[in-house]
Amino acid sequence: MTEPTGHILQMSGITKIFPGVVALDNANLAVREGHIHGLVGENGAGKSTIIKVLAGVYGRDAGEVVIDGAAMAAMTPAHVHAAGIRFIHQELHLVPHFTVAESVFMGQELQGWFGIKSRAMAEAAETFLKETLNAEIRGTTLIRDLGVAQRKLVQIARALIDNKARIVVFDEPTAPLASREIDQLFEAIARLKARGISMVYVSHYLGEITSICDQVTVFRNGRDVGVIEAIGPQDTGRMINMMVGRDISDLYPAKAHAPAAALLRVEALGDHKHFDNIDLEIRRGEIVGVAGLIGSGREELVDTIYGLRQPAAGRMLIDGKPVRLASPAAAVKQGIVLVPRDRRQDGLVLGMTVADNVNLASLEDVSRAYLINRPAAAKRADALAAKLDIRPRNVDTVARLLSGGNQQKVVLARWLATGSRLFILDEPTVGVDIGAKVEIYRLIERLAGDGAAVIVSSSDPNELIGLCDRIVVMLRGSIVANVDTATTSLDALIALTTGGELHEGAVA
Amino acid sequence: MSAAASPGKADTVMRVVEALLRQSFLLVMLACFLFFAFYNGAFLSLGNITNILEGSAILLVVSLGMTLVVAQGGIDLSVGVALDFGSAFAIVAMRDYDATWYVAILCGLAGGAIVGLLNAFLVVRLSVSPFLATLGVFFIGGSVQRIFTHGGGPISFRRLPLQYYDIAVGDVFGIPMKIVIGVAVLAVFYLLLERSLFGKRFHAIGMQPSAARIAGIATNAYVALGFVVASMTCAIGGIIASANLRMFTPLAGNAYLMQSIAAVFIGASMHPRGRPNVLGTAVGVLFLSMIANGLNLMGLDFNLKDALSGIILVVALVFAIAQRRLKH
Amino acid sequence: MTSLAQSPLAGVGRLVRAVAPSTPLIVFLAMFAYLGMASSNFLEPSTMALVLKQSVPTVVVCLGLATVVMAGGDDVVVGGIDLSVPATAVLAAAIIADLVSNHAMFIGYALLIGVAAGVVCGLVNAFLVVFFGMTPLLATFASSTAFIGISKVVTASRRINVGDPLIVWLRDGSIFGVPAGVICACLIAAVFYFVLHRTRWGLNLQAVGGSRDAAEMSGLSAARFIAQSFVIAGLVGGVASAFVLARGSGWTPGTEENLMMEMVLATFLGAAFSPRRIVTLWGAVLGAVLVSALSVGFGSVGIDIFWTGCIKGSLILIVVASAALSRKVNA
Repeated sequence: MTEPTGHILQMSGITKIFPGVVALDNANLAVREGHIHGLVGENGAGKSTIIKVLAGVYGRDAGEVVIDGAAMAAMTPAHVHAAGIRFIHQELHLVPHFTVAESVFMGQELQGWFGIKSRAMAEAAETFLKETLNAEIRGTTLIRDLGVAQRKLVQIARALIDNKARIVVFDEPTAPLASREIDQLFEAIARLKARGISMVYVSHYLGEITSICDQVTVFRNGRDVGVIEAIGPQDTGRMINMMVGRDISDLYPAKAHAPAAALLRVEALGDHKHFDNIDLEIRRGEIVGVAGLIGSGREELVDTIYGLRQPAAGRMLIDGKPVRLASPAAAVKQGIVLVPRDRRQDGLVLGMTVADNVNLASLEDVSRAYLINRPAAAKRADALAAKLDIRPRNVDTVARLLSGGNQQKVVLARWLATGSRLFILDEPTVGVDIGAKVEIYRLIERLAGDGAAVIVSSSDPNELIGLCDRIVVMLRGSIVANVDTATTSLDALIALTTGGELHEGAVA
Repeated sequence: MSAAASPGKADTVMRVVEALLRQSFLLVMLACFLFFAFYNGAFLSLGNITNILEGSAILLVVSLGMTLVVAQGGIDLSVGVALDFGSAFAIVAMRDYDATWYVAILCGLAGGAIVGLLNAFLVVRLSVSPFLATLGVFFIGGSVQRIFTHGGGPISFRRLPLQYYDIAVGDVFGIPMKIVIGVAVLAVFYLLLERSLFGKRFHAIGMQPSAARIAGIATNAYVALGFVVASMTCAIGGIIASANLRMFTPLAGNAYLMQSIAAVFIGASMHPRGRPNVLGTAVGVLFLSMIANGLNLMGLDFNLKDALSGIILVVALVFAIAQRRLKH
Repeated sequence: MTSLAQSPLAGVGRLVRAVAPSTPLIVFLAMFAYLGMASSNFLEPSTMALVLKQSVPTVVVCLGLATVVMAGGDDVVVGGIDLSVPATAVLAAAIIADLVSNHAMFIGYALLIGVAAGVVCGLVNAFLVVFFGMTPLLATFASSTAFIGISKVVTASRRINVGDPLIVWLRDGSIFGVPAGVICACLIAAVFYFVLHRTRWGLNLQAVGGSRDAAEMSGLSAARFIAQSFVIAGLVGGVASAFVLARGSGWTPGTEENLMMEMVLATFLGAAFSPRRIVTLWGAVLGAVLVSALSVGFGSVGIDIFWTGCIKGSLILIVVASAALSRKVNA
């Protein structure tokens, strides 16, 4: 099955530099003809960047791309399409009120003298879906009436309908799917393989990688750190080792905080949609991690605790008293604050200055008779900017111009100004450079040391183990484990979050 | 961090160009001013300047209300309705119920508040987009006025209480009352929107509603408040108009709708970050009033003047919005 | 444990959620039931013919608006909308009326010039939206003010009677007993149906409106289709001018406000009644006919004409609010 065949795609020495960040550093990716090639790595390892370079969305700063023996000089999306490379993006990009046939043939509709040949298109789409993807979907059905898995198949059919695809790149195709639907998708992928189409399969789910891929390239810190041939379930541990590396030592502060009395209790909380039956307790001076992949319900749970979403069942207690948080404003009144995952959208008002953003949640403190005392406001913002080392130090800078790490510090400074007691940090270090990361970790440790309760929701297992006292692991809407970080290995945590099969480390 | 900018020659040129661009409305305004002054000597007379300022009062008040709504991220097409309601409620209170002048003013403000509350209910409770909600209120408001006046005839009331009449024709230490009211409302709005903590919150909501919400601001309450305050402000304009003409003229407020939108966007184009702002709006209002006055002095046909100012409005809007886009 | 789902408020919320999407339908059925009972001749064929005849200008402008919405997407704020179609029609009508009645021009040439003026209006909108990046709502609202201003210059704000045989025929003529205007409207609607639903160009335009990302990824230029949709709306405005002249037997100042109100109401009403709850051609046509039926019906019951504006405005809000609420629930 793995007899050596030629490479259909070779990307070598690819370097991509963004202002301030080296996203790809001399990275390589080689795909054999007719094989399914897995691509794994943690967030920020460079997977999506190299895919975007391949798609022609990003230009490369150095390196060579060879497709089927021919070097690609110019790479625009049109060139890449002409070379037979197709992308199945994570988002479906379908028009809900179009029929299946119209969606499959979008941009290349069959037209005759009397207009669009609907019937011919519907039949062709049905045949194609049946023969190539083993899917029974009627061509006249509306997209909105299809399930997510079927929509995924329609999306794949659209990429392949012209029969010119040589390489198909799947980006996290199973994230929104249920397990039964995943089987259907895998069957379709197997059919494509049988037709000799080569594939690149990007996924966080290591269990999927080991079951359908032929080889895997592991990315870390913007470069490929190894290729595993003839991959199987026995390679999970090795893959995790390669993804994580062994170079994380002084990133995390010593845990000096001491958990005290319970502050927040969550009982049987659920929204009947993304998560259910969640029990959780957070004590003062404690840092609790929440782990889970996209779609595990982790984000929705965090939003619900902050009052951004309303639960359908269960309740929350603060200091033993039941509370109902109808809005973030109510949460802030209770001393609960959120550092949101989408910093640029939800974290700060990008068009306002640093000073305004810092003071936004506690304007009363710097106002007299409802008029803002501008010197006082600037002074407090200055003090917090100095404390958190926000750069540039000028608090009149517009927040949009700050780097990710400094923007995150502005959000934290805002909540420090309000004297909060429960900090919910959602992906606190995404898009933050390593130096600022260390500072933010120190700050989080100091919050807990000062007696605040902290929830860290993150997709970075290193961060959770390095920072938290306990980690609750969510998988498809429920808490599947509640582990003590002192006795949990990184590999065990990753295995728990990905639903992979690896049983070492204590599972409480 | 932002890319390093070398403080070279190119940089200076860019900065000058940028400043010119930002202030280009002031330049255009100056050009128009000079043109009108050259064309007709009467334009520059003290009497005419006072005329322009007095004539700006109603538009200024309406535009300030509009500024508030645009600053919080919406738009209000019902400013004319609020103005008309203010005027109608006040006049009817005095004519049919013998209300004293201050009760009449309160009734006028209440008339505006009704319009604002309806807008707020539609936008906040029913999640209708501000444009459609206020468009609906615009239609309904127009129709209600026609029903009430049996087809759109004015309701006049000649025996106005003197104090009420003074709103339009009186003066304070020789300064016409309309100018006094306009400046007072301007000052209040400046404090409210640019200096108070409420203003900061309004602006935050207008720029990034989700971020403002997560920062713990009760966004719904502020949006509702903004609509009500804006409509009540427009009602002040209606009260001035009714005092001036000693009658309620149905649908008179609609004339201010596009002008106030244009004034707000002209003002925003002069702001360094392209935000709607009180002082910019005031400049926009002066610009529009000056154009109207200048065209009047040129003795143009009424319809031609109407069409010209309509086209100038669109051009001004395009200019303001294109300039704002340039900055981003 | 205090479960949130059991509180009485949540029950009310569920009821609102269940009823909200069908509110427009209920309100409309109630109105027609009332009109049917209150007016003895509301359901007679002659009344129905009048309804259809009266609806022609609205139907035509609605087709233009529907095209823009289909290309720009049905998000009211950032999607496609063209509020200036009625103003375009009124401006074109002013030009035609002036040329025919005041300059004795041949009606055919005058119509051509009117339609050309409509296309120019459409180009202006396309330019404002695509090139300058104005939101369609604001751009077309502003441009309609300017178009109306120009129309007043053309006519000096005075009514112009048009007695041209062609316009009279559009108003009074009939073919095999079917009113001429209705036949023309049907033909125009058929052309629109074919172009938008049966050609590749039409499907691509709809794809742009349905999902801009999907269309761009299939190699379609969204900006081009959006610009084209505005030009078509302008063209439609130009064509609608003939029917505006026919309905009013000439040009009357102030026609645009009612036409705009009817257009907005008909288009959103059509969307509320369509099974997919999106703006469609048939929905727009149906909406226009229903709105016209309301106007005629209220007239026949003897309700003050000023009340109909109020009722129509309220209906717009009911329709729009119920759509917004049901979207909020589904989100």
